[in-house]
This record gives sequence, structure tokens and C-alpha cells, in this order.
Amino acid sequence: MDFIPGGDLTRRIREGDSSAEGELIRQFEPGLRVLLRRRTGGDIGLLEDLVQETLVIVLRRLRGAGIEDPDRLAAFAAQTARNLAIASLRKVERQRTDIDTEATDRNADPGRSVEGRVNDAEAALAVRALLRELPQSRDRLMLKRFYLDDHDKKDICIEFGLTETAFNQALSRARKRFRQILEERGFTKRDLLSTFL
Amino acid sequence: MNQEKIEQYVAGQLGEAEAEAFEAYCVANPEFAKQVEFEQRLRAGMAEVARGSTAEFVRANHPLASRFAMAATVLLLLGAGFIGWHTWGPAAIRPVLTAATDAPQTIPALRLAQVRGMADGSALQNATVRVEIVGLFDTEYHYSVELARLRGAKHAENVATLYGQRPTSPVTLEVLLHAERLRPGNYLLRVRKQSTDEEPLEFDVVKN
Repeated sequence: MDFIPGGDLTRRIREGDSSAEGELIRQFEPGLRVLLRRRTGGDIGLLEDLVQETLVIVLRRLRGAGIEDPDRLAAFAAQTARNLAIASLRKVERQRTDIDTEATDRNADPGRSVEGRVNDAEAALAVRALLRELPQSRDRLMLKRFYLDDHDKKDICIEFGLTETAFNQALSRARKRFRQILEERGFTKRDLLSTFL
Repeated sequence: MNQEKIEQYVAGQLGEAEAEAFEAYCVANPEFAKQVEFEQRLRAGMAEVARGSTAEFVRANHPLASRFAMAATVLLLLGAGFIGWHTWGPAAIRPVLTAATDAPQTIPALRLAQVRGMADGSALQNATVRVEIVGLFDTEYHYSVELARLRGAKHAENVATLYGQRPTSPVTLEVLLHAERLRPGNYLLRVRKQSTDEEPLEFDVVKN
């Protein structure tokens, strides 16, 4: 692992060092976003809430009782986030049942918030720009086979007459360009730290 | 952790324990996590673009380029076949789908056509059969024929795929299906125009 928030960081947090808390947030936030993005069905508002809630719980724990094995702090934070996501999902399901009973809001897409749609729309803009830039129709179809049709890499390579290395290189170029486009257009995520502290 | 793991995680292909270990690693490694988040956004963006139509992924192929691609595919398959033949020997190679070119006319035929209201799958005997697939085909293109075993309502397990098949006419494409090598069950035969995004033709077949 590149980063193990061991005893020193937990000690500093326990002693009330706010810079240590900021450090922990910066370290944990990207991973928590990944984990929670998968469990919040594209609802970015809920994702942000759960990331914050997780970090609050972890910090309170470190300020108070601490955890037995500081090397397991990342695993503890991940499990806390998973638990919160499960609890949130149950709550949403209960609310959805109530709404159905009252026969309201039937046309809304309950799984995606406005922020979620905006986030996906930004990604879609970047994907469209990427697709426009690809000179070969083959490359676009390859992306479709891989990301939309979920075809196996080996099958895609056979279909397009490519080696797996060549296919991976094409994918890697597409990812790099996608990231660049998002960054150029300012579509990267906002800094949670500024809103948290 | 490598790119393949990221792809598997984002596609939901990791088991529960493995996904949890992956997530703990992400939480401990912010730079790695950012890489994963971009992959998640790329997949979400692709899905969003395809919500209305997949037209943006498809543009008409240049026939010459397509022919080169087909030639490369055939060479690759021939190479793979050659290596396989010499590595495992003829006894081990028992393909389920083979080309019908030059097959004797005495082989019994099974005609598959998409007919409205015909829900039941065609029955396969325990023998090799010449499958005549009826549809509208472009004789300038190659087609792939895929056989998948159906498990339940949603899950289909690929059994064999035969690439580079030319239609015998604008309305017929033929392959040999060695049904004696299949286990009893329900199967899906899918015919796809290669290197295009046209909807495949699909047929249900049953091996008793």
C-alpha cells in the first residue's frame, strides 16, 4: 500500500490536530467516493452525504475511543461507508413504498438525483467528444463492445483482429483522453475538504 | 492492483470478498482511487450516451478496411487453429460449430427463420445438422455465429463462436452444428454482422 494511516496520524487526531484530520480526509475521500458511487446508483447528492457521514464517524472514533489496529483504519472506514450505504438504501426503499402508496411522482426517475444526472451528463459530453476524436470506427465499436455490451476482451480481439496488448493500448489511450477532456472542461469533482472543514 | 482489477470491479465482476479488499485498498490509496473513479465515470458516460441510441458508436465501415480486418481475423484464426492442432492433437479438437462450405449435401438440414408467433425453439437431433439461417444478409460482409446455452431466464453461457462466415445467398447463411457434442438443454443461436452494430438475429434451439 502507498499509504497506511498508522499510529502517528491517529495519535495526532486524538490530540486535536486539525491538520491531521485534513490529511485523513484528503487520503480517504477518493476511495470512499469509489465505494459509495457503486452503491448509490448515480445519486451524487447521496454519495456526497455518505462520504461526509463516513468521515465524521471515522474522525469521531479517532478523537474518542480510537481503533484497536491503526493499520486497519482504511478497512474500518470502508466498512463504515458500506454500512451507511446499506442503511440509506433501506431508508430509500421504505420511502419509495410510501410514495407508491400515494400514487405520486410516478414519472420521476427515483434512482437518480438532479446532481447525478448532471454528473452523468458531464461524463456523457466527454464521451461524445472522445468518440468524435476517434478516427477509426473500429475503435468506437471496440469501446461499445467493451463498455456497453460487456463482451469478453478475447472475443473483442478476435472480432477486430487485434492482439490483447493492442486492445489494451487502445483502451488506455481512450481512458487518458477521457480524463483529459473532463479536466479541460472542469468536470472533475469539487474538493470535499473545503466544504467539510 | 492493476488495470484489469479496476475493470473487473467497475463492471461488477469481482466476488464480494475481493470487492471489499479492493475497496479497502482504494480507501488507503487515493491516487489509485482516482483512477478507479475515472473508469466509473467513463462507464457511466458511455451508458448515458447510449441511453437514446448507440448511433454515435457506429459509422459505416470502409469496405476495403473491413476486408483487411476480415483477412486479419481469418489469418489469426488459422494461426490459432494451427497452434491448437499441433499442441493438443486432432482428437481434442471437437468444435460445435463449423463452416458449411463443402459439407456433403446428405447432412440433414434445419431451417431457422424468424417467424412471428413461433415461440418454441427448433429441436436438435443427436447428430450433425446443416443449419440454414434465413434472413436478410449482406454478401459483402462476414458474419459471426454464436451458440450459447441458456441457464434460466437471463443467463446465457457461450458454447462456441464461429467468425468469418459468408452468406451463401442474400437470404441464407449456413453453418454446421455438431449437436451430438451438445448437452441436452435450451440454446440460443445468435448471428451477428461483424464489425457493425446491427441487431443480431437470434433463434432458440432445443437439444433433447
